[in-house]
Amino acid sequence: MVDPGLLLQGFGTVLSGYNLLALVLGSFFGIVIGAIPGLTATMGIALLVPFTFGMAPITGIVMLLGIYTGAIYGGGIASILIKTPGTPAAAATVLDGYPMAQQGLAGKAIGIATVSSGIGGTFTALCLTFFAPILASFALRFSAPEYFALAVFGLSVTVTLSGRSPVKGVISGLLGLLIAMVGLDPMGGFPRFTFGRPELTGGLSFVPMLIGLFALAEGFRQVELLRSAPRVAAALRNVLPALADLRACAGAYLRACPIGLVVGITPAIGADTAAFLSYAETKRASRHPERFGQGEPAGVAAAQCGENASTGGDVLPMITLGVPGDAATAVLMGALTIHNLQPGPMLFQAHREVVHQIFAGMILANVTFVVLGLLFARFFARVIDIDRTYLVPLIFICCLVGSYAINNVLYDLVTCAVFGVLGYVMLRYDFPVAPMVLAQILGGMLESNYRRALAMAQGDASIFLRRPIAVVILVLAAVTTVVAVRRQREALRLEATSRRAAG
Amino acid sequence: MASPSLRRADIAAALAVLPVAAYVVYESGRWPRLPDLGNPAWIPRGVAACLAGAALWLLGRALTGRSLPLVSPLLGADRRRVLRVAALTGAYVLGLEPVGFLAATALYLLGFGAALGERRWGRLALFAAVVPVAIHLLFDQTLNVPLPRGPFR
Repeated sequence: MVDPGLLLQGFGTVLSGYNLLALVLGSFFGIVIGAIPGLTATMGIALLVPFTFGMAPITGIVMLLGIYTGAIYGGGIASILIKTPGTPAAAATVLDGYPMAQQGLAGKAIGIATVSSGIGGTFTALCLTFFAPILASFALRFSAPEYFALAVFGLSVTVTLSGRSPVKGVISGLLGLLIAMVGLDPMGGFPRFTFGRPELTGGLSFVPMLIGLFALAEGFRQVELLRSAPRVAAALRNVLPALADLRACAGAYLRACPIGLVVGITPAIGADTAAFLSYAETKRASRHPERFGQGEPAGVAAAQCGENASTGGDVLPMITLGVPGDAATAVLMGALTIHNLQPGPMLFQAHREVVHQIFAGMILANVTFVVLGLLFARFFARVIDIDRTYLVPLIFICCLVGSYAINNVLYDLVTCAVFGVLGYVMLRYDFPVAPMVLAQILGGMLESNYRRALAMAQGDASIFLRRPIAVVILVLAAVTTVVAVRRQREALRLEATSRRAAG
Repeated sequence: MASPSLRRADIAAALAVLPVAAYVVYESGRWPRLPDLGNPAWIPRGVAACLAGAALWLLGRALTGRSLPLVSPLLGADRRRVLRVAALTGAYVLGLEPVGFLAATALYLLGFGAALGERRWGRLALFAAVVPVAIHLLFDQTLNVPLPRGPFR
């Protein structure tokens, strides 16, 4: 159970000195990243991870939590003002946000979006605080076979649900598994796939690779799209929403909060799905569904509340089981690891104070972006117009210098650049990047626990079928994979049919 | 005109992945076996087999004309810009240690800005001068992370 005393201490720690400054700066930077179309929360976290090396662990972590929650919210600003989602998660906000801006209500839309994101985010952070210790204590019963099954589940779902083509998601994930094997064998200690290079005996540097795949690759994409950067035309007035407007959105909050939480917990689907599901459910339950799509404030509220409500759900399996549900939490997990905090149930035993500080940080991060969003809405709106000719080189420099700064070795810089180019080529040709990274994290877990389980059973592989929890998880993995592949094939068939119909 | 497809990219990707799978099988055959810990080659070989299967599936789809359409082909000025930036980035990676952070970054930013079409040279020069100094101060002085000094060591 959550310890109220430790939680209060956690609030005290996060609200003190450098931690508060880091939280505010992280939120501010996150909103800026989110507001600029093309830059994602994952990219923001990956970009700033190296800046946290010199900080105390909790200072760095609250900064990254600020970026994460701020960027998810910030995507809605561009959706409302220029009809282009700042992040993929904010696509549903366009539906009613942009019509509101066209009616001269951009300020009201941004105000509602800000408070709604804050409500969803705070709800989910509170759920994380109360449910994470329970799940972690349940996970203490897990042993190697259960962790193996959990890794199989995470892998099967993330790989099959990514991108337009399941087979490309599979290839990306399998390559990630092979990359995870570079280095010393987890049980035998002999080198594998190192090609005689001593730098590779410790495996490929994870953080430079993350920065390359998520930030540098996106930077290359921005170089390509440079000419089509959008411009803001709407004027912002009266950003602070009226109480009556928020009260009118209460139904949307009641639906979007639990939807976002559940979607967040589900691996491989994240904020974008949460936003669309919340929007659709709010529209379905509305007395005036015909108003949706025409500038209905409840539509903005549902989408924004849903997307931010997914953040705590995304963090939950990562922090309690060490299984990241999406790319952003994979990068967050990498950041925790470099601060010597290994996510999983043992984190709740060995670092109880830090865990409670993370909970407090997550709750306060959601409050912080609401305050910043309402105070600096005009500034964030102007950020969308930022000159890409200067922004893009800055992103590249931050990626490269950040990668170099990790260990001060050229090898990390080369890793970042190589994976940056690889990530860009993958993005261009429809190979999803996220499965590669998730597979790398889960690959180590899969292999070491598989071998550990065999060691426990003196080489008898039937151990995986004799453990009820492991069997349930493996069956779930099989079922969700089959369902996911079927759904994706149906979606592709529909896409092909509509293409043929369009000539 | 028919919309461009990912056919060529899919074929190239499949052909690039197949030798990777073959190499994994080859190298894992040389690893020592450990009693009661399972053959260390099982998982890598299983992954390699799945990878080869997925690559052949992709290849088959591409060869039978079932590749997905390419959303936006990379052509003309866009392609030149991406290639220039990639070349500049490669040069920066190789030149950072010998040239030093400040000089290498200033040159990189100048080249980068020019590659993106910026012709306001004064503004670009100011940007290329200020950013490396600011980053140097942030990393080297504030975060205690030393950056390469090049000939000024």
